[in-house]
Amino acid sequence: MLNSNDLNGADLFSRRAALKTAGTGFGYLALAGMLGLQNRQAQAGVSRVDAPLAPKVQQLAAKAKRIIFLFMEGAMSHVDTFDYKPKLQESDGKPGHGGGKLVASKFKFSQHGESGTWVSELYPHVARHVDRLCFIRGLHTDTPAHPQAVIQLHTGARVASLTRPSMGSWLLYGLGTENQDLPGYITINPSPNFGGAVNYGSAFLPAHFQGTRISDAGFLPNLKPEVVTPLQRRQIDLVQEMNRDLQAIPGAPSELDGVIESYELAFRMQGKVPELLDISREPQSVLDAYGVKPGPAGSFARQCVLARRLSEAGVRFVQIRQGGWDHHNNLHKGLIANSAATDQPTAALLADLEQRGLLDETLVLFGSEFGRLPTAQGADGRDHNITGFPMWLAGAGVRPGFSYGATDDYGTHAVEGRMHTMDLHATLLALMGLDHEALTFRYAGRDFRLTDVGGNVAREIMA
Amino acid sequence: MRIQSHRLALMSLGLWLAATPHVWSQEDAKPNPAKLEFFEKKVRPLLVDNCYNCHSADNKADGGLRVDDHRGLMQGGKRGRAIVVGKPEESLLIKAVQQTDDKLKMPPNKQLTEEQVAILQQWIKDGAAWPADEIPADLLDRPAEYDRLLKQHWAWQPLQAVTVPADVSNGWARDDVDRFVWAKLQEVGLSPVADADRVTLLRRVTFDLTGLPPTPAEIRDFLADPAPTAYETVVDRLLRSPAFGERWGRHWLDVARFGESTGSARNLPFPHAWRYRDYVIDAFNKDKPYDQFIREQVAGDLLPAKTEEQRREQLIATGFLAIGVKDVNQRFKVRYIMDNIDEQIDTVSRSVMALTASCARCHDHKFDPITTSEYYSLAGIFQSSDDCAGLRNKMGGGGLDYYDPKMLLVLPGSSEPNPQHAARLAAARKAADEAKADFERSRDSADADKPAPNGKPRRQVARQKWNRLEAEYQALNDPTASGAVAMGVRDGAQIGDTEIRIRGEAEKLGPVVPRGFLKVVDFAGQPVVPTDKSGRLELAQWLTSPKNPLTSRVIVNRVWHHLFGAGLVTSVDNFGVTGDTPSHPELLDHLATSFAADGWSTKRLIRRLVLTRAYGLSSLATERHQTLDPANRWVWRHSPRRLEAEEMRDATLAAAGVLDRSRPQGSAAAELKVVELPNNGAESQRLLAVARASHARSVYLPLLRTLVPTSLEVFDFADQGLVTGSRETTTVPTQALYLLNDAFVRRNSLVLAESLLAATDMEDRGRIEAAYLSVVGRSPSQSEVERVQFYLQDYQAAAHEALAAEFTAVAQREAKAQAARQRPADACAPLNIADETPAGGGAKVVTDQGAGVAVKQAEPPPKLEPVQPRDARTAAWASFVQALLGSGDFRYVR
Repeated sequence: MLNSNDLNGADLFSRRAALKTAGTGFGYLALAGMLGLQNRQAQAGVSRVDAPLAPKVQQLAAKAKRIIFLFMEGAMSHVDTFDYKPKLQESDGKPGHGGGKLVASKFKFSQHGESGTWVSELYPHVARHVDRLCFIRGLHTDTPAHPQAVIQLHTGARVASLTRPSMGSWLLYGLGTENQDLPGYITINPSPNFGGAVNYGSAFLPAHFQGTRISDAGFLPNLKPEVVTPLQRRQIDLVQEMNRDLQAIPGAPSELDGVIESYELAFRMQGKVPELLDISREPQSVLDAYGVKPGPAGSFARQCVLARRLSEAGVRFVQIRQGGWDHHNNLHKGLIANSAATDQPTAALLADLEQRGLLDETLVLFGSEFGRLPTAQGADGRDHNITGFPMWLAGAGVRPGFSYGATDDYGTHAVEGRMHTMDLHATLLALMGLDHEALTFRYAGRDFRLTDVGGNVAREIMA
Repeated sequence: MRIQSHRLALMSLGLWLAATPHVWSQEDAKPNPAKLEFFEKKVRPLLVDNCYNCHSADNKADGGLRVDDHRGLMQGGKRGRAIVVGKPEESLLIKAVQQTDDKLKMPPNKQLTEEQVAILQQWIKDGAAWPADEIPADLLDRPAEYDRLLKQHWAWQPLQAVTVPADVSNGWARDDVDRFVWAKLQEVGLSPVADADRVTLLRRVTFDLTGLPPTPAEIRDFLADPAPTAYETVVDRLLRSPAFGERWGRHWLDVARFGESTGSARNLPFPHAWRYRDYVIDAFNKDKPYDQFIREQVAGDLLPAKTEEQRREQLIATGFLAIGVKDVNQRFKVRYIMDNIDEQIDTVSRSVMALTASCARCHDHKFDPITTSEYYSLAGIFQSSDDCAGLRNKMGGGGLDYYDPKMLLVLPGSSEPNPQHAARLAAARKAADEAKADFERSRDSADADKPAPNGKPRRQVARQKWNRLEAEYQALNDPTASGAVAMGVRDGAQIGDTEIRIRGEAEKLGPVVPRGFLKVVDFAGQPVVPTDKSGRLELAQWLTSPKNPLTSRVIVNRVWHHLFGAGLVTSVDNFGVTGDTPSHPELLDHLATSFAADGWSTKRLIRRLVLTRAYGLSSLATERHQTLDPANRWVWRHSPRRLEAEEMRDATLAAAGVLDRSRPQGSAAAELKVVELPNNGAESQRLLAVARASHARSVYLPLLRTLVPTSLEVFDFADQGLVTGSRETTTVPTQALYLLNDAFVRRNSLVLAESLLAATDMEDRGRIEAAYLSVVGRSPSQSEVERVQFYLQDYQAAAHEALAAEFTAVAQREAKAQAARQRPADACAPLNIADETPAGGGAKVVTDQGAGVAVKQAEPPPKLEPVQPRDARTAAWASFVQALLGSGDFRYVR
């Protein structure tokens, strides 16, 4: 007889099996819920393979289906871009709180849209969309160094030496993927350092929840068929015949279903994904709207186009990156160059998503790992500031033309609507229909969460 | 008084009665309320307003100084103590704000008012009062349920003397292990399935013991051996093979979270980690007693050694504690140290005892009876030890900034002491110091910007000269230049107990707790930490005492896991309350007891287990079995398993006949300088290319964190960040894409196909047989042969046209190579090339700007030719071999 302990064992077994096989179709039972274990008794003793990447039943009412994260790596100076501080503008040269000399922004701010949101002249294109944006202005984080802060933003880990799953992996673990022919989580042009692959890794979550890295030219290894399709199809058919022979043996490895399906999926991916990653298929007018051009200066524009194509095709989480915001010096020219690279493409992405009706189901997130101080560093620079900085969201689930929270008069400390990184994560998960406290994974004896032991959802920003 | 009462509380709990007395420092005395009020009202706001941007946790610690942390302020930064309590005139802080010294003026571009300076002076004069961190009232309270858990939870109860069940199996059981298994099966109403056939068993045991497939000759020999001991003979052969240590050493390397770089925020290589890797492999091959193996890894530096060789080995063993993930960019040293200690506590407690002790870093363990005090009693042991990873923490930083060669273990007898070395070192230091003085003179002189003879500004020329001489000194002073070094630990200069950190925050100090061990394993006569030693030796003794029930249970369970597909306790790294309970508790204790009694011999344990009837069961299943026990918890059959990443790669090379069984010297990572490795950088790409071109066993590939070779990464290589006793096995399309398109798979398929076709003594049927034997370790059935024959014909016919261009390319390449071979030898004389090579053994020397230190670049990896078959027949055969490599028959061991 099986006692209660055994039920747990069997239960765990089927859950593990479920999490480890990427097969779909073939009559698999859909996972009854992300946590899938409520029905313990019913599942016990039944060996079955579920589809971990299949779309899951959500825990909360989802407002967004997909996320596109525009990551401004290096810490964009918020007081020169999106966080207008009139008091700072008046206090140029005066001593700043905490030491140092305040330095006003060299860039002109003006109000835009019906919301009258202040945006600096660095972002004229994005400024036209302010009524679509929802600012969160009271963010703060824990470590004033890029590597740790970047890792914390992506994985929630407050101690960088603890490797935790990235937020995209958690989303995929919680929601599955919409398009079975595509990876559900793609990161374009990710940071080569600052934790590198940790930022899109799955850590202790099973490997198929990890992000797939592609270059800003859309390159993905082993995706190109190495022989012509008819020959490769013959080979796959041979593999599948061999596998079905093996499968017919009683007691054959239960994962064989998944192996067979993985070949079919790989075959389909070879056909579909390269097409999707080929932005030259876009009309010239679209490319022009994004400002696509060759070379490094056009990288972010290309990433924006790729992001839209992938998101449109159902990729759950797409991240793109613009680096070079770490303006300890050369603040003035640096800001001009970086905003020039990001302004038009970002605005074009918003417009394009809107036009295609995708903004209603896509959440766009724009921002950095932290902000910069209002005080001067050297002749033309600003140092790190983790105690107050903004990000903005747009699209599905968030209040448009809205601003939540604030930093103080100089943009230093978050004083209203304070949101820690964990709160940001909790809010993003909630917008995607996931309860951050229930999205757990048992590892090394405890239930891990993206939000660790914290996290408050900022309901105020929800539409 | 407050602290004293904490101490009494500890004593009254009966913890660490043998602890050494602790000298309470002045800092522990409670300041009076008026002085504290003065600090809060006058001093702190002044520091916040004027200093925090450069000297606080939210920002940074310029010059190593923090003013928001009492200990930080007391210890000061690079210039020394910032405050001398009671003596403002001797305090650097006061000097800085008075701005009387040209080289030390704070805050920058600003002068505090006289009144503000006076406030600081007053505060220091009055004792520099600082409020104590608020200690939660219940910090030292033991959670009520702990005593119950200590008494009740199975894992930490002493090993039970168990009686082997009477043998009622009618001759089925071969070993006591089988009698335990049989008894349990009877209890749940199941019977074991039949024994595995010999071919299946041979493939299984060969992979399980060596990570390699049996060769066709080994298969034939085994089938042809009629002796009843034939299987035993095979097992003994496998246990003697060096491949055994490569396989089982790798299992331990998973547990030891082995990696050849820091990973984390800035990825810096560990050029000496490979010594630890080789140590582990050798330990398994030598069948080093497991208790000794653990003692050496935790305290090898403190163990007696009879020979220099033994001493080296034991030092290298301690690499176990040093090779973890490290965040060198952590700007605050105290956090860097406490994070690394936590990493060590986690690794030691989970690897050896399957305890998640590091959960108690911030609060008492939520599930297991491990208090925060106990955690910090362990932390004191590690804090008293130097973590010799060759690194230091630094904010920002570039080039060799993070490299600290003093934090490495120099191995004895590694080279003949060079009598001139000390003199050369002193001369180099003198030259560098003189150049530095020259530079400082030139920098401050009026002629600084005037051109030197080479046209560049004098200041710049002087600076470059200093940089060059400094680099020369550094290179001479680097222990790796004069001998072999290893990563590891040693007892530190400062030995002592440490404070509980409130909520795990490194700067928030609670009471000091004496060094000691965990209460979950508490036995009479357990070792006591001496005052003047770190306590690692005693920790090692405590871990490996026969009275510690966890250590032996955990290791026999790990071995069982690798041989039977799942542990008797499935949560191999967690024996705590949230872990699994043993399926066969008596068997577990029987194995643990006999393992320790049998000299902690891993080889004998493995030999015993693979000779059991249970291990030799078939993997076939019936509906009834599957329904009643799908997870095979009761061992009614042998659970099939997927090959691990290394096995997939090694078996592919072995099938192609190109696996290099020798151990390569060191590692590709050994050539790296300790500078950051961006994932897309040239060095990273080179390492991955080296891995792609290598024919060595996978355990010897460069295994830098976040730079795992593709062939391993796609098949669930171990997480290098944490103890991994059980790897994931996922099934995902990227694996299929890899098997279909990756050059490694295609190349080795082509190699095997070409060698099959080159064999003139066989026909296609024989070739198909040979391919099956090499790749899946068995002969094909008649229908399989026919299917393959049809496939080859069909593919070949289609390939004639479809691949015509490739065939032409191969022909052209071969013609070109042929022509090159025929050219006279002096046509491309290599002599001129040698002349162009700069000094330094052919390596290119470039200057790293960040540190101004020469960085040697290693040789580029060999270029691989494109994988193209020469003709349609070869293409068809290569495609067939590749299909076999993609089949479940290859991927799974049954």
